[in-house]
Amino acid sequence: MNPNDIIRSTTIGLFYLLLHVFVVRQLVLFDSAFCFIYVGAILTLPYEIGLTTLLLIAFGTGLIADTFDNTLGMHTAATVLMAYLRPTVIRYQMAQKTSEARFELSLRNLGLPTFLSYTFVLILIHHSTLLFIEASSPSLFLFTLLKIGASIVFTLLVLLLTQLFFR
Amino acid sequence: MLQLFEFIARKRNFILFVFLEILSFWLIVNNSNYWSVNYFNTSNTLIAKSLSVSNSIKAYSNLQEVNQSLAEENRRLRQQITTVQQQKPANAPAAYKPDSAFAARYKYVTIAKVVDNSVYRTDNYLTIDKGRAHGVRERMGVMSPDGIVGIVTVCNEYFSKVTSILHSQFSVGAMLLRSGEIGTVEWQTTNPSVVSLRDVSRYKKVLKGDTAVTSSYSSVFPPGVIIGRVQKIAVSADQSQFDIELRLGTDFTKLSYVYLVENKLQKPQEAVQKSPITARK
Repeated sequence: MNPNDIIRSTTIGLFYLLLHVFVVRQLVLFDSAFCFIYVGAILTLPYEIGLTTLLLIAFGTGLIADTFDNTLGMHTAATVLMAYLRPTVIRYQMAQKTSEARFELSLRNLGLPTFLSYTFVLILIHHSTLLFIEASSPSLFLFTLLKIGASIVFTLLVLLLTQLFFR
Repeated sequence: MLQLFEFIARKRNFILFVFLEILSFWLIVNNSNYWSVNYFNTSNTLIAKSLSVSNSIKAYSNLQEVNQSLAEENRRLRQQITTVQQQKPANAPAAYKPDSAFAARYKYVTIAKVVDNSVYRTDNYLTIDKGRAHGVRERMGVMSPDGIVGIVTVCNEYFSKVTSILHSQFSVGAMLLRSGEIGTVEWQTTNPSVVSLRDVSRYKKVLKGDTAVTSSYSSVFPPGVIIGRVQKIAVSADQSQFDIELRLGTDFTKLSYVYLVENKLQKPQEAVQKSPITARK
C-alpha cells in the first residue's frame, strides 16, 4: 500500500461516514427501511489491511455513528462483528482473486455479481445484529425481519449508486 | 509462559474482537454510563455544532413548508383578533352591544400564494392560486402580513384575480390612528409604494408618521388593517384639504402570501347602503 492508496481509502471512508451522519441518517422509507451507508467505509477498505487495524477502524466508525444516534454501543457492536467476519467472507467468495497483486474491493474491480454477493452477506450480518440489538426483545420479531430486509435493499442500492460515482 | 504469549500473539485479533464486542455490549447495557452521558451523545459540543450547521443548510429546503404553516397560524390568530375586537370595539360607549352575527362577520377564509403580480401599470392586478374550490368569492378583501392588498374581482375554480390597491379606480376608507381623522385612500402616483389620502380637512391636525388603517365604514375590510404611514403632508390646490402621501405597509414588489377575508354580512350591508338611491331611481 502506497501513500496514494491510503489517502484514497481514507477519503472514501470519510465520505461514507459523513454521508451517513449528515444525509442518509434521516432518510427512512415506509417507516421500515433505514440506510446505514457507513458500512461502506469498512467494506471498501483494501484487502491488504490487517485485521487488527480493521477492527479498530470499525470500532471508531461505529462509535461515531452511535454518537450521532445517541445509541452508544449498538452500531459499534454490529460494525466490529462485520469487520471481524470480513476476511473470512472475502476468502470464501473470492478465493482466486485474492492471489492477485492489486486487489481493490470496489464495484469496478470486482464486477456486479461478486461485489453484490460480498456486500450482501456482510450487510446482512451487520443489519441483523444492529436491528436485533435495537429491538432488544423478541416481541417485534416479524417487524424486525421486515426492517432488516428493507434496510438491506436500501443500503445496497445507495452503496451501488455511490460506487458508480467513484468510477 | 512462552506458550501463553504465543497463543495471545496468534489469537490477538480474536481477543481484540471479543474485547471490543464486550466493550460495546457493556456500553449498550449501561446506557446511562459516564461515557455515554458525558461524551458520546449529540449534546457533545462538536457533534451539536456540526448537526446545527447541517440543519441550517437543510432549513432552506423546507422553508416553503415553514412559511405555509406560519401563514396558516397567522390566519387563525387574525381571525381571533378581529372577532374579539368586533365584540368590544375600543372606542365604543359602554352600552354598545354588538350583535353576535355582526361581531363574527369577518372570516379569514384562506391563505393564497401570489402567482402573478404587476405594479408598474396604471391598473394593477394580482393573480392568486386559490379560487371557488377553496371558498374564495368576488369582493373578498385581500391583505398581506404587512397590510392591505386589494379586493377579489374575478374568480374561477382554482384561481382568482385581485384588483390591487395600485389601481386607478380603487378607493378605500381610511382612518388615521392617532388623530382619528377619516379620509379616502386612492392611488394616483406611479410609485408602487406610495398612495394618497384625500378628504382630510385642512383644519384638522395630522401628524407625520401617523398610521393609516382601514376605517369601520368599509364593507370589505375589517377595521384596523394597516394601509400605510403618513410620509408627506401638503395642502391641496383648492386650499381646503390636505394632500397626504402614505407609504404603503405592503411591499407590492415582494408579495408572496396573502390572506383572504370575507365579510359574511357584506350583501345585507351593501344592500341597505344602496337602497335609497335605487329607490329614487
